[in-house]
Parts: sequence; structure tokens; C-alpha cells
Amino acid sequence: MNIQTMTAGALLALLAGCANDPAPTQQLRLADQTVEQARAVGATDDNEAMKMAVDKLVQARAQMVDENYKSARLNAEQAELDARLAEDQLLTAKGQEQIKVLEARIQRLRKQLGDMQ
Amino acid sequence: MKQLTGMRVGLVLAAGLVTVGCTGQRANSEAVQRAEVAFQAVRDDSNVLRSAPKDVIRAGESLARAERLASYWGTGSDAQHYAYLSQRYSEIARERSQQMLNQQRLTKLQMDQQRLQLALRDSKLESVQQQGKWLEEQILALANVEADRGLVMTLGDVLFDTGEAQLKPQANRTILKLVQFLQLNPKRVVRIEGYTDNTGEKAFNLQLSTDRAQSVADTLVDLGIDESRIQVQGYGDAYPVDANASERGRAQNRRVEIVFSNAKGEMALPRG
Repeated sequence: MNIQTMTAGALLALLAGCANDPAPTQQLRLADQTVEQARAVGATDDNEAMKMAVDKLVQARAQMVDENYKSARLNAEQAELDARLAEDQLLTAKGQEQIKVLEARIQRLRKQLGDMQ
Repeated sequence: MKQLTGMRVGLVLAAGLVTVGCTGQRANSEAVQRAEVAFQAVRDDSNVLRSAPKDVIRAGESLARAERLASYWGTGSDAQHYAYLSQRYSEIARERSQQMLNQQRLTKLQMDQQRLQLALRDSKLESVQQQGKWLEEQILALANVEADRGLVMTLGDVLFDTGEAQLKPQANRTILKLVQFLQLNPKRVVRIEGYTDNTGEKAFNLQLSTDRAQSVADTLVDLGIDESRIQVQGYGDAYPVDANASERGRAQNRRVEIVFSNAKGEMALPRG
């Protein structure tokens, strides 16, 4: 093997590296954090979006290992938004639950007031 | 900052409109079309725009990117990816908007609740006051107003056995009314005065009249009236209300009288 072929090989390897996407480490970390936060708010696999987020995160991690960086990035980006949606859906539901409780209390108060008159 | 965000929303919306306008000529993938529908819905909803402007902007940006990619060859999967992100941003914006509406409703309900709680408290207070008034009427019905002594209530001799100081159970209703009345009128004080007829020893009668008055006072204290609000006085056979010549007259004279102060706690001086 002479120097020429070695240089050509190195160049090829470099080119291949450039053609591929860079490893989406940041995006994966972000997706990870978002999923964790949704979990902290109370999201579980019962929520469709949460389940999708968790599944896509698993896929993205596997694709990182396979150095399939583009697919890993796409999956991580989708996982992030899936998890955010799951969290927001949960917060909306909690708000609606609070409204229900308060409405029941108000109805009780109205009834008591009615009884006194 | 707010103005800037507003301008950006406007720009992105305009861009969205232009691209949406062109879509008819192009066969977009289903995902892109779905994202367009979702984006138009949030863009036209002023509540969503107000509560989640950033997410609406991102939905528009992602959608524009998806539409651009959909017009090239070989980028179909990328177009789908950005359409997916756009759709998610629209959905997130919608959730945010719902959260804001929920918060507004909660605030209104909390105000309603406070208002109702106050009204209920007022109406309970009124009912207590009405109860107090009713009780006062009951006490007044059992009592007489005397010019020099004020309000006086008489417990008749049927409430004691002959020669005994112990109050009989028949007195319970009257005593309970008395206790409630004193609890509702915390400034009022009472003097409990015992009287007998003129049969028997004077000293014995004086002692018996004092013991009977004390027995009533003890019952009031047992039921929670402060001792400091009660004076006790025995008068024996003094101050008869009727002639001691007949049995009926003597029965009238055997009695315990409760003299009330006025509402400020001012009391007529004791007799004698």
C-alpha cells in the first residue's frame, strides 16, 4: 500500500463523514429532557403522544449506535414535540378537572343558599 | 418585544397564506395537507394566537419548509417530517389556548365561589340573629317588665318540691332558654332571687330561699354561664306578691325570680 492509496482512502473516509449528518447529541438530550419533564407532570404510556415520544426516543438511541444520525435526529425532533404535546394535554386535563371540582362546590353553595331562603 | 412578536406572527401568517394559496396546483402528500388544515385552524383562532404565538410561528415555519421540500424530488420523507412537526406545533398551540381559557374560567369560578361563600355567611348570620330575636321574644313572654327592677322572670313553686332546694326536671326547658338567651346576649347579667311564703321559721325560710336561688345559679353555671354574671340573693318571706292568707296566695309567693340587667349589663340595685 503506497502513500497515494492511503491518502485517497483517508479522503474517502473524510468525505463519507461529511456526507453523513453530524451526530444529533444536543437534539437527543433535548428530547430526553422533554420526555422526562412530561413524565414528571404525570404523563404515562396511556397518553398516545407520550407513548410515541418514548418509542421514538428508543429508536433514536438505537440509530445513534448504528450511526444513522439523520434518522436519529428526525426521531428525536418528533419525540420532543410528542412529549411536549403529551405534557400540555395533561395540563389541559388538570385544568378541566379543577374547573369540575370548583363547579361542584359552587353548586353546593348555591343549594345551601337556596335552602336557607 | 410584544410588538416584535406580533410583527413576526403577521409575517409568518402572510407567508403561510401565500404558500397555502399555491397548494392547489401541487399534489402534496397527505401529511402536508393535514398540517395545512391544522395550521389554518390555529392561525384563524385569536385565542390561540394570543396564548401561544411562538408555537403558531413554528407551526407556520415548519409548514413552509414541508411545502418547499414537497416540491422537490426525493425529499418526500423530509417533507413529511416537517409536516409532522408543524402539525404538532399546531396541536400544542391549541392545548395552550385551552389552558388559557381554563385559567380564565377558573378565575371567574373562584370569584363566584368567594361571592357565594360571603352570601352564605351573611345569611347564616342573619338566621342566628333571627334565632336570637325569637329567643328574646320567648324570654319576654315568660318575663314581666317592672318599673323599678327592669325585666323579671318568675320560676313558680311547682319547679321545687316542698322544703327542697333542688330544681325539678320540669324547669329544664325554661332554664335552657335562659342559658341560650344569656349566651346570645353576653353583656347581660342576672340576679337570682329566692322567696318563700310565711309558713315556718323565718330563718329556715331565708335559708331555703337562698338555697333555691343558688340551685338555679348552679344549674346556669353547669350549662356554661360564667359565674361572674350571676348574683344570688335570698329574701325569705319578704316581698310577697299575693296575700299569704290562702293556699293559692302562698303558692304565688313561693318562687324564684330572675332579674335581668339591660343589654349593656346595667342592673337595678337589690331590694332592701
